Amino acid sequence: MINELLLQFAHWMEAQEYSQMLVAGYYSYSWLEATHVLTLMISIGSLFIIDFRMLGWVMPNVPASTIAARLHKPMIIGFVIMFITGALLVYAKPVETIQSLWFRMKMILLLLAFINAWIFNNRLKTAEGNWDNDPVAPGPLRTGAIISLVLWCGVVTLGRYIPYDWVDCTNTTNTTILWAAGCVDQLNAL
Amino acid sequence: MLGSILSQYARSLAVLAIFLLMVLVEVLDIRDAIYPGLESFFNWMNQSSWIGVIGTTYGSVYATVEALHLLSMAVLGGTVLATDLRLLGIIFKDVPSETLVTGTHKCFGWALLMAILTGIFCAAGVANKVYFMEVFWIKMLVLIAGSCFMLFIKQPLLTSRPHTQINPWTIRLVAVTSMLIWFTVAANGRWIGFS
Repeated sequence: MINELLLQFAHWMEAQEYSQMLVAGYYSYSWLEATHVLTLMISIGSLFIIDFRMLGWVMPNVPASTIAARLHKPMIIGFVIMFITGALLVYAKPVETIQSLWFRMKMILLLLAFINAWIFNNRLKTAEGNWDNDPVAPGPLRTGAIISLVLWCGVVTLGRYIPYDWVDCTNTTNTTILWAAGCVDQLNAL
Repeated sequence: MLGSILSQYARSLAVLAIFLLMVLVEVLDIRDAIYPGLESFFNWMNQSSWIGVIGTTYGSVYATVEALHLLSMAVLGGTVLATDLRLLGIIFKDVPSETLVTGTHKCFGWALLMAILTGIFCAAGVANKVYFMEVFWIKMLVLIAGSCFMLFIKQPLLTSRPHTQINPWTIRLVAVTSMLIWFTVAANGRWIGFS
């Protein structure tokens, strides 16, 4: 049911004039993709430095809360640009993207990464105090930092897999993969 | 006398020497002479070297290494931005810039090493294509220039004395140059995928 609705929505988006303009213009799509990828250096670069500080890998002599607070703004700016360009990339190729197993897995990891970030921020606020100048953050924050690193590495890796066609709807007959990728037409044809 | 002058301006003279070398390479057509000879090496990288064979045979391995390349570039970018924006006085105003320069350098070094190693693997997988791409060669030149700039100019200069003793405009110039260099490397790398 949900796969059918998503596919209908994707077809509706694909029929939009601006969606076709984005994908038809070689440079518009390339620039969008390039901006999406290059903004990694601002968003994930800043996030990883915060995580590395929690683990004591960078600048252990600078208070952890200072690093987190000072890098918060560039990180958010980076993520906002990434989400806008990411949404436009989906808008440009909606059917292909919505039926990509990698894209769906990426969205799940993205959701988990945000839940982890929310928990991490709450822990950071409640843990403020005597550990701030320690070279390594307390256990729960370290765990949050490791989970964050793993999830974001997964997000980037799955994002990199999206252009590859190993498990595209037309390349597999495995019903579980077809269902997970939302390949409605192929499932109906079986 | 001459020795003391040379040691005082060692970095500036090194930069001048590199610049002159580049001019000579171009004027004397050395680049054009070297380029055709490299084609067989690139073909070997792609078809015979083990990294080239793995890269061309296993798409999933290639894509995973590509992701690692992106991740190492993200870490590299994060360290460069944190340091350079501090040098420009935009962020981390309450942290001494010397602390950031020394605190992020090790992480930068690891990220650069990782980016180079994964980059070699990625290039080997498509070596027969990138050889003919102008954007690939621009990226390589800027990467070499950037690495030399970081290791032989920026880091030695910023760790040689307290930053209050360095002309503020020199510091700003170094920060802007550093950001431009790494942005150019990353942007050219992205453009290789479109070419």
